[in-house]
Amino acid sequence: MSTGTSSNEAWGSRIGLILAMAGNAIGLGNFLRFPVQAASNGGGSFMITYFIALLLLGIPLMWIEWGIGRNGGRYRKGHMPGMLAAIWRHPAAKYLGVIGMVIPLVVMIYYTYIESWTLAFTWFSLTGDYFGRDTQAEMVNYLQSFQGVGDPATRVHAAWTPYAFFLVTLGINIWIISKGISGGIEKLARIGMPILFLFAIVLAGVVLSLPAGPDGSTPWTGLNFIYNPDMSRLGQPSVWLASAGQIFFTLSVGMGSLQAYASYLSTKDDIALNGIATAATNETAEVVLGGSIAIPAAVVFFGVSGAMAVAQSGSFNLGFATMPVVFQQLPLGQLMGAMWFGLLFFAGITSSVAMLTPIVAFFREEFGMRREPVCYTLGLMTLVFGLMHIVWLEHGFLDEWDYWAGTFGLVLLAVVETIIFIWVFKPENAWRSIHQGADIQIPRIFKFVMTFVTPVYLLFILCWWGWQDAWPILRMERVTPGSEFYVLLSRGVIVLFAVVSAVLVRMAWKRNGYNDRAGFREPEPRPEGAHEVRL
Amino acid sequence: MTSSAVVFMAASWSFVLGLTLWSFARILKQQK
Repeated sequence: MSTGTSSNEAWGSRIGLILAMAGNAIGLGNFLRFPVQAASNGGGSFMITYFIALLLLGIPLMWIEWGIGRNGGRYRKGHMPGMLAAIWRHPAAKYLGVIGMVIPLVVMIYYTYIESWTLAFTWFSLTGDYFGRDTQAEMVNYLQSFQGVGDPATRVHAAWTPYAFFLVTLGINIWIISKGISGGIEKLARIGMPILFLFAIVLAGVVLSLPAGPDGSTPWTGLNFIYNPDMSRLGQPSVWLASAGQIFFTLSVGMGSLQAYASYLSTKDDIALNGIATAATNETAEVVLGGSIAIPAAVVFFGVSGAMAVAQSGSFNLGFATMPVVFQQLPLGQLMGAMWFGLLFFAGITSSVAMLTPIVAFFREEFGMRREPVCYTLGLMTLVFGLMHIVWLEHGFLDEWDYWAGTFGLVLLAVVETIIFIWVFKPENAWRSIHQGADIQIPRIFKFVMTFVTPVYLLFILCWWGWQDAWPILRMERVTPGSEFYVLLSRGVIVLFAVVSAVLVRMAWKRNGYNDRAGFREPEPRPEGAHEVRL
Repeated sequence: MTSSAVVFMAASWSFVLGLTLWSFARILKQQK
């Protein structure tokens, strides 16, 4: 059985790998979504359920995904259809893997668009464009004007503005991906991650040293707002689901990108310690830094009730409307604003470049295509479908993709991969696979957790969300009148992606003569010296 | 801040920072 065209790529160093993996995980959710979720779901009690979800879902899934990815890499498979087929010798495996191609592609398209807002607002901060609009309502209007939604009479931006920033953001993404794993993605992580942490530390320091606001609230009032425990909320399933959902978003599990990164490792490389280091780095960025910027700043200037109202109106209002109002009250406000949006931009781009990696790997490995043409074609495709988001933003086009791919889809892929890696591959094999080349021995309790607790937890979340959200959303019960066509169109595009991906997978299997029941043959080892660095 | 909020914040920060420092210390030790 042939193995297709190998990519022959590898990570340059262990620190580069961890930074890239952490960059993949650290995204907009760390700085915008986490504080809002914590504050709205019982503060300290949310943190209890959050850490339980981290231990029972997040960290086990990290190891599972690193394990699946590295196992796929043995056969030079950097995409989910190949990775799942490498574990489960059944014709259905490759088609289940299609979920892991559609999700990163769909999320990458709309995520890049949101990322372009952060680039735009970095520019608007540097040039002081929004300075003078110093109320929440004025900044919400400014944000909507940029997005091209709301009342056209109150728009202050030229109509081409969101398109221009999207084009530039997409161009940077595609250029980095076209440079390869070590030359593009790892270099970006080595530059972007230290900048991200530097900006976050400076901003957290500035926010935490703010004097009391108009109503006497201090940054510590804001931290109290996030961490004050409301233990009565522990009995509410919604709090447990919110924390589990946050763990998914923040660690980027169920996406297909983490596995793709891990496929460039060999069985001599550690994944147990690297996996925990990646998760821990992400958690530091989220809990220590993410929780210390937006909410404490909003509380100082708007009081607890004002910050609560902003948080409940959505994460984007907090980040793109409230924070600019805050920066206008600070010394060096333009610089602070640029650092905030620059931080979000680096958080976003280190995640978005990861999302196209499995798709690029698929075309390179299965169809023998060169990296650059694949990247440019995918870039063109992202541009076309991204434009739909810009044009139809107010019709819920983006929300629909965010729910089906960026929320429900993540859990669905996590359920599929966990069942295949743990139950089909057998827990003993999975455990042994994760420990190959390991620098640490994972406590055996996690074998029990991965075998029973994580899959059951995941199935519970999937069923609960299915009943609570997916069914009403599918029936379009919450769609604004007049937007039904756009919602159906947006779903149609996702279905189209799934069908095209399934056809391409079938073509790839035929082209390369794969036999589902026989499994893949391990390729010839890399030439001596091609992968000297043990990660 | 209330004392319970301080406890939750201190415990949360200690856990994530401790895990990060421990994992990177192990990695650096392995690389030596």
